[in-house]
Amino acid sequence: MTATLAQAGGFVKPNRRVFTLEPSRVRSVFLDLVRERGQEGFYVSTIVGVDLKEEGLIRVDYFVVLLPEEETVVLRTAVPRDNPVLDSIVDIVPGALSGELETHDLLGVLFQGNPYLRRGFFVPSDVAEKGVYPLRRG
Amino acid sequence: MVDKVVELPVTIEIPVGPQHPALHEPVLLKAYVDGETVVKVEVNTGYNHRGIEKLCEQNTFYKDIFIIGRVCGICNTVHTDVYVRALEQILGLEPNRRAKYLRVVAMELERIHSHMLINAVMAEVVGFDTLFMSIMLDREKVMKAKEILTGARVMADYMMVGGVRRDLSDADAGRIAKLVEQVRERLTYYKRVFEEDTTITKRLMGVGVLKRVDAVRHTLLGPVARGSGVRIDARVSDRYDAYDELQPEVVVRGEGDSWARMMVRWDEALVSAEIVLSALSKLPRDGSPVPDERKLPRKFPPGEAYTRVEAPRGELTYYVMSDGKANPYRVKIRTPSFTNIVNSAFLYEGYTIADLPVILASLDPCISCMERAVITDLRTGERRTVPFTQLSRGDKAWRGRGFYLL
Repeated sequence: MTATLAQAGGFVKPNRRVFTLEPSRVRSVFLDLVRERGQEGFYVSTIVGVDLKEEGLIRVDYFVVLLPEEETVVLRTAVPRDNPVLDSIVDIVPGALSGELETHDLLGVLFQGNPYLRRGFFVPSDVAEKGVYPLRRG
Repeated sequence: MVDKVVELPVTIEIPVGPQHPALHEPVLLKAYVDGETVVKVEVNTGYNHRGIEKLCEQNTFYKDIFIIGRVCGICNTVHTDVYVRALEQILGLEPNRRAKYLRVVAMELERIHSHMLINAVMAEVVGFDTLFMSIMLDREKVMKAKEILTGARVMADYMMVGGVRRDLSDADAGRIAKLVEQVRERLTYYKRVFEEDTTITKRLMGVGVLKRVDAVRHTLLGPVARGSGVRIDARVSDRYDAYDELQPEVVVRGEGDSWARMMVRWDEALVSAEIVLSALSKLPRDGSPVPDERKLPRKFPPGEAYTRVEAPRGELTYYVMSDGKANPYRVKIRTPSFTNIVNSAFLYEGYTIADLPVILASLDPCISCMERAVITDLRTGERRTVPFTQLSRGDKAWRGRGFYLL
């Protein structure tokens, strides 16, 4: 992976390397990961969405654990707050399913190509019907 | 002349849950069965979403420690430990060695009682209630040990930024060691019961087999992954707290079935007992492990931390982001059950209804279900699938062809 992606974003404490990438490259980076490390060479631990209201962005971090050394690295991307659309990676890494469902339901990021996305996965139906995303900043 | 057959699988929907579907989480498993065989499982969540991440954004860093202890009763010390360590990373603080050792003792006691609980539940699920009662009785000894250490059987509120909230006297350390030694004997006995008892082995062996590659691809964690031969353990890779000195042996098995997952838990409980005894025998004496809470920093610098802990159920991670104000900007919690429940519906398929609670008790899955019909071309033997919607639309292509409904 280091061959295809330069580390530019510093570290998340403690010593988790951060690689920043354009939203359009997310799929190709994960395809590269599968090609370089194989299906058993990494897993997507979690997807963290953060609403950065002042910048007008929603930051999406993929925390990936590289096996067998179990090193956690961060693949960081950001989408505009008014049009938060990203390509889904569930067909490449099925383990991303739970993270994508959650980030969609709580922050409103649309993962294109994920057929299982729905509101009300976690959020109560009355909140979901109003179109409120609870973790968006007011 | 009839040359095509429409085969409509008669599937019956069986709700399992949301009240106590074998485990404690209120989750609804919609199982679609064809006869006795489970063909699809759909997981409905959201019965217990309490908005804790949002609540954390609205309270101070320190109040959040107590909110986070309430995420999960069974493993509250691991939750607070991983959150407190994230705060320590942001602050640049480090607790002393004694505090780190005491944290490990609390977390390993928790692992023993959590593994005993899930194994007891498994015994109950397969109809072996006596074993359930017996394990739960012995589990009380671990709860007592945890009470001696933290002051509470369950809700410990033991971790604090810069250390722990109670010191341990030498006399109490001896009491805990005695209890753990008693429990260790019982753990060895129960492990043998799970190996030799025909009720257990018949119901668990070969049920819910998980391949190594599927465990990794679907982010299945903890004993579930280790039961399928994946060597992952955050205690070994991150070496947080005192795990740099008290290195645990990673228990891995290759069978990948429900039985292997339960056996991994028994072996891990035995390893935990060893760690507790070893930690108690060499508790460092480098000052008080209890920080003066009045002197802890009130202001948090901007920064972010992502900490991991090996909870009883697998890798538990916290992401904490501070923007320099009194409250955290974002707290993201990813529990191991979250991926183990949502990502693993594929495991149920092909097993019977009676196996469903067994597999569920050994882990937990999800897949969305689409009703469909299978078209069999009798001339060529070719089968293809067509969605119900297309059939019900009455497409011209399907009219007047003389289908048989099977």
